Amino acid sequence: MKTLAIVVTNDAFDKILTPLGIAYLMAAEDVQVDMLFVNWAVTALKTGGASNLHIDGRHAEDEEKMRAGMAKAGLPTDMYELIKALKGTGCVNMYACSMAAAIFGVDETNLIPEAEGIVGLAWFLNEKADKADHYQYF
Amino acid sequence: MDTPQATVTLDTSGKCCPMPMVETNKAIKALAVGDVLEIIATDVATLKDIPSWCERTGQTLLSSSEHDQTLKFYVRKNR
Repeated sequence: MKTLAIVVTNDAFDKILTPLGIAYLMAAEDVQVDMLFVNWAVTALKTGGASNLHIDGRHAEDEEKMRAGMAKAGLPTDMYELIKALKGTGCVNMYACSMAAAIFGVDETNLIPEAEGIVGLAWFLNEKADKADHYQYF
Repeated sequence: MDTPQATVTLDTSGKCCPMPMVETNKAIKALAVGDVLEIIATDVATLKDIPSWCERTGQTLLSSSEHDQTLKFYVRKNR
């Protein structure tokens, strides 16, 4: 695999770990990873957003347990630290969906520097997802 | 069989997927062709991950062993 495209929809702390973890692993193997953050997930690309993600619903009370498990596994427990690590690989591009950005109050002024920018869904699906060796949706 | 002479040792004990493979990739990139990376792991996923990674990336798995739930892999960098 040389290229991977991932669409991320959920901003819950536990739900966003999987796509970020997969991106980190593949980037370590020099796979070019392009990620589009749609719906609530776009808030992870907003200044201060990724550090304030929490577990929702029936697993919410297990958040401390999950963070402890992540630390033991060697993973950052702050999602912004993981996003910075992804960017640091030089193989991961993170994009904010323009519709989600408009709905959830993300713009160029509050977008984190690790993000490539705000893009349209059509561009991402045609130029990144359709051309990638593998495509995932979370 | 003699234990290969390691150039560098990477200890991932206690860590689990994806970190052992993330760190293995980083470690191999820092080595020269011909060097041998010793990887110590406790994550059982590495039993399949490391041989598969060697084959995919063109490295040679010189040996692997398991003792008291600790895994050791010796990988020669080929490229």
